[in-house]
Amino acid sequence: MSRSWPEPQAAVAELVSAQPFLIGVRHHSPALAAVIPALLDALQPDALLIELPPQFADWLPWLGHPRTVAPVALAGSGEPLPFYPFADFSPELVAIRWAVQRGVEIVPCDLPLGDAGWAERGPRRRKSFGSPFSQALRKAQTGRDGDDLWDRVVEAPAAGCTPEQVRRAALAVGWAMRADEAADGRVAGVDLRREAQMRAVVQDYRQQHHEARIVLLVGAFHAPALIDSATVDPAREYRVAALDEPRPVLQVVTSLVPYADPLLDSRSGYPAGIRDPRWQAETVKAGGDPVKLSAAAARVAVEVCAAVREGGHPAGPGEAREVVRLTEDLARLRGLPAPGRSEIVEALTTVLAQGETLGRGRVVAQAMEQVLIGERRGRLAPGTPRSGLGPSLEALLKELKLPNPDAPLRKELRLDPLRSPLDRRREVTLQRIQACEIYYALAAEVQGVGAAAALTTHWLAAWTPTCAALTEVAGLLGVTLEQASEGTLRRQRERERADGGSTAQQVLDGLLAAAECGLSALASDRLDDVIRVLPTTATLPELLTGLDLLSRLEQGTVPGMVGHPISALGSVVEEVHTAAIRQVDGLAGSTDLADARALLALVVRHDQIGAGLRLDAALKRLAGEGSPLMRGAAAAVRVLLGLDEAAELGDRAAAWLDLDAPGEITARLSGLLIVAGPLLEAGGDVLDPLLARLEQMPETLFLRRLPAVRGGFDVLTPAARSRLLTAVEARLEDRLDLGVSTDPGLLGRWAQADAHALEVLRERGLASSVALAPADRWRLVLGQKQEQLPAQAKRYGVALDELYGQDRGEGAGGDLRGPGAGDGSGYPGVREWSEELTHLFGATVREEVLAAAASGGRVDAALAIDPALARPSVELLTSVLSLVGALPERTVARLRPLVAKVVADLTQDLARTLTPALTSLTSPRPTRRPGGPIDLHRTIRANLRTVRHGPDGTLTVIPEHPVFKTRSKRTTDWRVILLVDVSGSMEASTVWSAITAAVLSGVPALTTHMLAFSTDVIDLTGVVSDPLSLLLEVDVGGGTSIATGLAAARELVTVPSRTMVVVVSDFEEGGAIGPLLAQVRLLVDAGVRVLGCAGLDETGAARYSVSVASQLVGAGMPVAALSPLELARWVGEQVR
Amino acid sequence: MTGNQTAGSAPRQVDPPEHRYAAELQFLAAYDDGARPPGWLLTPRAVVTFVVGSDERPLVLPAGTAAPEGVPPQLAISEKFVGERALVERCVVTLAGERGLLLVGEPGTAKSMLSELLSAAVCGTSALVVQGTAGTTEDQLRYGWNYAALLAQGPTRGALVPSPVMSAMSAGAVARVEEVTRCLPEVQDSLVSILSDRRIAVPELSGEDSAVPAAPGFCLIATANLRDRGVSEMSAALKRRFNFEQVHPIADIELETALVRRQAAAVLERVHAPFAVDDAVLEVLVTAFRDLRTGSTAEGWEVERPSTVMSTAEAVSVAAALGLASAYFPAGHDALALLPGHLLGVVRKDDPADAARLLGYWDGAVRRRAEQGGQLWRQAWELREQLEL
Repeated sequence: MSRSWPEPQAAVAELVSAQPFLIGVRHHSPALAAVIPALLDALQPDALLIELPPQFADWLPWLGHPRTVAPVALAGSGEPLPFYPFADFSPELVAIRWAVQRGVEIVPCDLPLGDAGWAERGPRRRKSFGSPFSQALRKAQTGRDGDDLWDRVVEAPAAGCTPEQVRRAALAVGWAMRADEAADGRVAGVDLRREAQMRAVVQDYRQQHHEARIVLLVGAFHAPALIDSATVDPAREYRVAALDEPRPVLQVVTSLVPYADPLLDSRSGYPAGIRDPRWQAETVKAGGDPVKLSAAAARVAVEVCAAVREGGHPAGPGEAREVVRLTEDLARLRGLPAPGRSEIVEALTTVLAQGETLGRGRVVAQAMEQVLIGERRGRLAPGTPRSGLGPSLEALLKELKLPNPDAPLRKELRLDPLRSPLDRRREVTLQRIQACEIYYALAAEVQGVGAAAALTTHWLAAWTPTCAALTEVAGLLGVTLEQASEGTLRRQRERERADGGSTAQQVLDGLLAAAECGLSALASDRLDDVIRVLPTTATLPELLTGLDLLSRLEQGTVPGMVGHPISALGSVVEEVHTAAIRQVDGLAGSTDLADARALLALVVRHDQIGAGLRLDAALKRLAGEGSPLMRGAAAAVRVLLGLDEAAELGDRAAAWLDLDAPGEITARLSGLLIVAGPLLEAGGDVLDPLLARLEQMPETLFLRRLPAVRGGFDVLTPAARSRLLTAVEARLEDRLDLGVSTDPGLLGRWAQADAHALEVLRERGLASSVALAPADRWRLVLGQKQEQLPAQAKRYGVALDELYGQDRGEGAGGDLRGPGAGDGSGYPGVREWSEELTHLFGATVREEVLAAAASGGRVDAALAIDPALARPSVELLTSVLSLVGALPERTVARLRPLVAKVVADLTQDLARTLTPALTSLTSPRPTRRPGGPIDLHRTIRANLRTVRHGPDGTLTVIPEHPVFKTRSKRTTDWRVILLVDVSGSMEASTVWSAITAAVLSGVPALTTHMLAFSTDVIDLTGVVSDPLSLLLEVDVGGGTSIATGLAAARELVTVPSRTMVVVVSDFEEGGAIGPLLAQVRLLVDAGVRVLGCAGLDETGAARYSVSVASQLVGAGMPVAALSPLELARWVGEQVR
Repeated sequence: MTGNQTAGSAPRQVDPPEHRYAAELQFLAAYDDGARPPGWLLTPRAVVTFVVGSDERPLVLPAGTAAPEGVPPQLAISEKFVGERALVERCVVTLAGERGLLLVGEPGTAKSMLSELLSAAVCGTSALVVQGTAGTTEDQLRYGWNYAALLAQGPTRGALVPSPVMSAMSAGAVARVEEVTRCLPEVQDSLVSILSDRRIAVPELSGEDSAVPAAPGFCLIATANLRDRGVSEMSAALKRRFNFEQVHPIADIELETALVRRQAAAVLERVHAPFAVDDAVLEVLVTAFRDLRTGSTAEGWEVERPSTVMSTAEAVSVAAALGLASAYFPAGHDALALLPGHLLGVVRKDDPADAARLLGYWDGAVRRRAEQGGQLWRQAWELREQLEL
């Protein structure tokens, strides 16, 4: 900084005394608003020159009309959207009112709207020197780091000052900010152009009215540029000359519309806002009187405390008193005449928030917003001309030849927005109207070609009287369609925030809406939300939806965003992708085929960006520790990504066939084939070892495995299976060709000998009754071309078709008697089927098959299971229970014995393992460690040998070894609340929870409650000791609202320190994450022991949302996948 | 930064603030003779100045004030707490209202130092302190007994052993309770009656001795660590008797770098060695700490946060270690080359996955910065294999 600067003191002094009389303002400034009438009264000017574009001149009488109630806003069309909200604390409005009432002329002196000057660029920015002048001013005052300079220097000390002092302070701040910008050489070109215009208007006016007293009311920043003496202006070297001849003033659409307090708050995302309008209004009302201001502060404190109380947290008069005390003392310490906004906010936070950001902190923040922002709405004076959204929308519709008030009839539109610019405008207009919640047009579904999304759109539009009415409502949020749609969507975003934060779904919907409406600013804000919200709360399917949307934006196939590339999209995609990979850990316990498909979809997107290591590790864990389904899928995915050798996978998969657990084989094969199916069809040799093993295993073993293997292959569509069979057959033939090296005649004789030998063996009962060639085995496994099977083998196929005959997907059903499965005829009834199964596969397999049929929805199969013989397993129970909801009471009664038997067996088993973990009692015991109260008796006994006789005959014990008592805790009266998520399907976790609850209810020291929740909560405590009726009563399905469940659990808490709340859920919260965290915090804060079970079953693997769970951990709820025994141990530890 | 040690006292590793800044305290007492809350040695404004410093400008005693012996006529007050002035102001005002002050924040945000400075400035001593642990008993917050005397004489005033809190009450001084949330909740609750009744009842004694009332000026500063237990286990009754102040990590990277440099240099000064770590290396160090602490970089990239606390205090110790290494083993070592190892040492405390997260940070943010051409960051990226296990 080698340049010379005007001496600040002198410069400000010159500004204050300059002619014309300068009032430097900020658009919202209670301090100035309070003093402006006094300033103007003292001066009695003939004209008021004000920083507004000239096109607004016609509105000024209405703006200053005594019956117009602020807040209101002036708006115009153009780029950037001109928007000027006015409130009671806007100095401009106060001045305009003053002038209108006294008939003083008002001259708008800013650059006209639509002038090219608005688009002017600034000089190239040089290296920043910091802000020496502002820093110096700021240093003179104290305050928080983030505090606005204006607030510190103008607003806070204003109370009790003379109007002239306030004016001087405002001009000084403006000068300092200008000096800093000039020092950096970054005065914006548009500002310089506007100042040139203002100078020109002032000069012009003075030439016409020589004697007139003028007051110039402009932004404090501009004030130094407007006086003749250029030495005062720190940015003088940048001054541009006024244009020789004034450019023509364009006719633009302007409007005066009512506005509202919540929209004025700068946090609402609207332009030119201010923090906490209600408080600012109070300041104006106090008119600079410190006593009234203090009273207002006290009122605010009391109201906030009341709102916090309503939020369920203690905050009484004691706290309010402390807030007021702190506010006043802070103001005094800082040398202020009266507390300002900053002091109140600081005191409220310090006293009420108790250092928590969640839970109580959130409630306090909401209370403060509610009280400090206020809820007033503006009103226009009667007779104000109609303006705003209505006229502008009607004009737009006419221009685009869409149904409008003059031609209201219904029109069907087929738009091709990506090719025709007119269609694009129409499309964006229709989307915006829809976003404004005006019922004008309906979008019809358009089917895309193949898997791709549709590129054309189809609308039905009509103008009805409703449209006109709804337009009026939407007009509050903007005066053009673009403003109004952006306003509506932003308000939506604001509401989400107020409700505790947007959910992932809301963020994605919002992004899509913003993009379709062509609102790039909002879209990029939503994109910020995407980065913020998606990685932390979204589930895997949501993340995949998000990735789809982002790639549409990247490719530019969203009509609204054509020509508006969004910056930084690539990095967003990367973040979301990384987040999706992080979710992979949470799939470990999944038994849902959709999750395996999601995993595949994710990996298909995966391009080696940075996250490779992470995915590798996650997949390794999945393949090693996941549920059978995920193991299979992960193993195949690893091969797809080249992380594992293909050959290894085949070998490993072949080994799975040796497992003697049919359910597990089915699940693993399903997972494997979902991922590797296409490879297999194409004739890839990845799975050769598996295929070979199937062909070569002993026939009896093959038949035993057949149901399981067929179940595994059932995930492929019929057409895929048919293609696979063709491929396999081709392969088999190839091999035969290769194998033939002997004389065909000889081969024929060998075959004859073989057949003869087999015949002999069969007669003696030494060979099984069927002989299956490899191709036949494949026909059985795939359920295809079964008519070609030998008669004996066909029976197997038919028996299994009964279970797997209901095909889905490509090639299923249809009129054509094509290659679909289910070729065989059925059985007369389930009894025959069941007998056939026993005959073919044996009793154990029969039971598995029937259970599988039951879970597929076949009640008769469930009824065919014999309770006495059934092996008690949770899988069987879940299959049967999943049927119960849809059955008439009579059928349920017939199922009851089976369920009762299984439940009783399981409960008995569990009780045996759990009981030892739960019994224990503690009582105070003596210890040498000082920690509790001293045990006098024991101390004296332990130190008898140190007793001394004193000179006066008394005995003195010298306690060399003092003995203390440990603290004891009573073990009675503990309350356990099991909160079970039943929003999904009937899951093993639900069954285990019920059984565990039953066992816990048998422990005398515990009171056990069980609540089942989806979006509603059902208290099942009454039947908790009877898991049978409990399970039969649970109604699964619906959305997930863990927060609601926790709120219900909180009602049951009487002694927080003796209560445990165990949440069994997949943590895929349907609502916003904020309230959930708040509920957890509330419980944790109260001292309740909270535990999250991502899954409660014997495997300890779970399927859950990793992101939500990790946030819950942060809020104080540990989350883990537990077995019932581990849960019981945890309960025992808490009690002890 | 050596301060003035009182003559005759043996050298100590850490000098308490009331000794170290005795001259400043005396000066401020003379400098501002405005109204003081009862029992205070300085005015509230002077306490604020003492903590945040006079911004390197020397303060001059007002004319006509006779300078007490040994007090210079003008003195610049050093900046001791790097942070928001408004925070300090709120703390002082809270204490002036005789309300309990609870400083909460991540470990290593200078909460304890702030509480020492405040108590030294308010009442001239920071020694009345109770360290909260799981083993802290009520005796340490209220009073205990000399058991020998108790058994010999029965309960008398002479057999009573006052706690630091009780001493502060009778003297009208500031008592400090460090890590209050680590105490058992029932032990914490013994503070409730102290803060509301402002006296400790001694039911074993009778007559005048049966209660120890608080003299004017008594107040309590507690600190709590958000990482270990949080304030969640405090009872609501106790919470509402405190004003809470959250102490945040230093917001500005340049201030933090300067602080790290200053404190690391002070460590080296004690062993009479120069601090020879390059500023650029320090900046890399502080940037890495900040990225890992906040979970996102200045460029807006997301970083996975390790579960370990990445406090400024830890950064100072790493910087000091780097300085010591170059002082004692001057040959061969480049300070930057040691950095990844030290970072790993800081990060790898409780969760083994944290080491993987550090590696992830290297693969993400450090790689990108190296690609963008930062010379030091490129060197740091080349040291990646030090982090692989």
